[in-house]
Amino acid sequence: MKKILFCLFSIVAFLGPFSIALAQKAPTICAIHPFTGRFAFAGIEGSAAMQDVVDMANEAGGVNGKKILYYWADGEYKDDVGIAAFKRLHAQYGPQVMFGQSTGMTKALGPEIKSRYKVLYSAYTMTSEAANPKENPYLFIAAPTYAEQFGVLLKYIAKEKPGANIAFFYSDTEFGREPIAAAKEMCKKMGLNVVAEEVSQVGGVDLTTQILDMKAKKTDYCIFQGFVSNPIAAVIKQSKDYGLNAKFMGTFWSTEKQLLNELGPLAGEYVGVSAYSFSYQSDLPMVKKIMDWTKKKYPTIEYRSQSYMQNFVTGLLFVETFKRADKMKGGLTEGNMVKAFQSIKNFDVGGLMPPITIKDNSIPVGRVYRGNAKTMRFDPISDWIRMD
Amino acid sequence: MRCGDFKENYIKDEEIFPSSLAKFSLAIFLVFLALFPFIANAHMLYIANMIGFAIIGAIGLNLLTGFTGQISLGHAAFIGIGAYTSAILITRCGVPFWASVPLAGLVSALAGMVIGIPSLRVKGLYLCIATLAAQFILGFVFVRWESMTKGITGIHIPPPAIGDLAFDTEKTFYWITLFFVLLGVGYARNLIRSKMGRAFVAIRDRDLAAEIMGINLFRYKLSAFAISSFYAGVAGALWVSFLKVVTPEHFPFMLCIQYLAMVIVGGLGSVIGSIFGAVFMTLVPELLNVLSDVVKAYQPGMEKLIIPFKQVVFGFLIVGFLIFEPRGLAEIWNRVKRFFTLWPFSY
Repeated sequence: MKKILFCLFSIVAFLGPFSIALAQKAPTICAIHPFTGRFAFAGIEGSAAMQDVVDMANEAGGVNGKKILYYWADGEYKDDVGIAAFKRLHAQYGPQVMFGQSTGMTKALGPEIKSRYKVLYSAYTMTSEAANPKENPYLFIAAPTYAEQFGVLLKYIAKEKPGANIAFFYSDTEFGREPIAAAKEMCKKMGLNVVAEEVSQVGGVDLTTQILDMKAKKTDYCIFQGFVSNPIAAVIKQSKDYGLNAKFMGTFWSTEKQLLNELGPLAGEYVGVSAYSFSYQSDLPMVKKIMDWTKKKYPTIEYRSQSYMQNFVTGLLFVETFKRADKMKGGLTEGNMVKAFQSIKNFDVGGLMPPITIKDNSIPVGRVYRGNAKTMRFDPISDWIRMD
Repeated sequence: MRCGDFKENYIKDEEIFPSSLAKFSLAIFLVFLALFPFIANAHMLYIANMIGFAIIGAIGLNLLTGFTGQISLGHAAFIGIGAYTSAILITRCGVPFWASVPLAGLVSALAGMVIGIPSLRVKGLYLCIATLAAQFILGFVFVRWESMTKGITGIHIPPPAIGDLAFDTEKTFYWITLFFVLLGVGYARNLIRSKMGRAFVAIRDRDLAAEIMGINLFRYKLSAFAISSFYAGVAGALWVSFLKVVTPEHFPFMLCIQYLAMVIVGGLGSVIGSIFGAVFMTLVPELLNVLSDVVKAYQPGMEKLIIPFKQVVFGFLIVGFLIFEPRGLAEIWNRVKRFFTLWPFSY
């Protein structure tokens, strides 16, 4: 018995320092960005944002004196490639937090992240499946879910025109269909009428049927989901020819400069919801900091997209989580990381968003913006609207 | 130089293992496959599993396109049918994974036979369009038959298990994949030297002549579709239990193209070509990723130029194969074997 106890004691004494060393390993972020493929417009900006957050944090002393490490890979916006990259980065660097590229990848990896990898994880998605801490405490989104974004727009409509006729115009994809059921429920509660549901391919050009259907159903507001630019621009332009007098709205991914450029003189016809401020709102301290940094590091870049802002906010949350978890007993353990993340309340991000309070692993707040045809920018037309 | 290796009859000529060296090499390779999970990390095992699924799917397509000459652009849909069948059987009917895999294959085979009916009247590009239509129709069914497929939300599947032993990691699932790959390769290798295999080749080379020789085109063309789809269904069933989720977006049209590229790069009408093609198409993008990581380590910032370029490199590699070795990697493998058979007196 004494021998057994002696052996156990020796093992504990020998492995003890290693386990402490493991627990105290450097704070590490790994990300899979869609650097190529059809979502590259977001991935290129997103990878730059995450790098910038890490560099800024390291310049400011890192996580309580420890330098943050950041590694990333291209996921090509393909689920199998993204999952392979996730496993490769996890095996190579053993990060405490990871960032993924899509809804599909998040859904596929969700169960394994919960049962096996146990890393805090966010992605380029805003699906409600990634914001359900009871089901999976490791997944979060640094934005409102798509359904919550619909909620922000519907709240705005209910205030502007009670009892309005709404049409949902969405793509025949997971991204397009995801919030529709929840949005219909919200319409019922707010006294709005869903009069039409139009489905189109991403990039579709012949939209006569859908436009005439919306006209026949006296649509007041048409809300797009699941598109980045086309067919939104095409619908808005063609609706003028067919006499459809609806107001056009959209969610996060279409509330971007690219759409305004495509709309040209009709840019003022589009209203969108976003969770973040725009890079030309330089009166905001964090936006100023980002643009000063961009000027210094990448002198040719004058505009930072909303995907940049999404990754930047996520990066800020990662860093803040590291700082909080590092002060806890045991350091950057999986349990501490989740606790630290969920403890974030009124976290000031310098105007990129209102002070962040994590609720059900998402940030249910958004703001309504209208396109401006003169400046080709989005101007805020509401205050921040909360959905909790 | 290997001496005394000449065949005196057709049976000898059709042997799977023509020499003791071939048997020995295969045994060494099998030992390596058995040891692989103990030396590889999770990422390498993930890739190994993906290669396994691709091999099964590619063999299926090669049996149809390479051996029987029936071009199909609906292979992704057949994989999807297998995946959904398995997922529905496991989650709704409580059928164990082990039974769901062959059942998924059978349902896919049935669908393949239905889709294959036009092959009796049309061929070439027209058959392409017929199978392409199947791809889009089935894609629509996956999205819209929500009561069964759960639409865009998809179906989450528990990992396979035997008692308390769950096959829920890359390492444990590797054994399942390996088992089905060996079974699939073994069956295909035997099939092509059977009467049915010879009938497939006869149909591919000239279907009218084959019919005149007494080959029942109706039976063999549909059999080719059924067997090909069975393989696709099994690949889908394995893939879905490995990923633990299935959504309609897992089976895009591009997946069909990817499988066609596998059999073309590997070698049409060759079982080993299907294996080479699957390995090539899965592994080369990963190797290019490693290359960009190396660039990232030595020239930070340069990776942003290199990463988009890797798709160009991949494209050039495929085009290069088509131009310089249209018979695929299998033919290169044959040349290498011939060289060493005659070595050191090769010419």
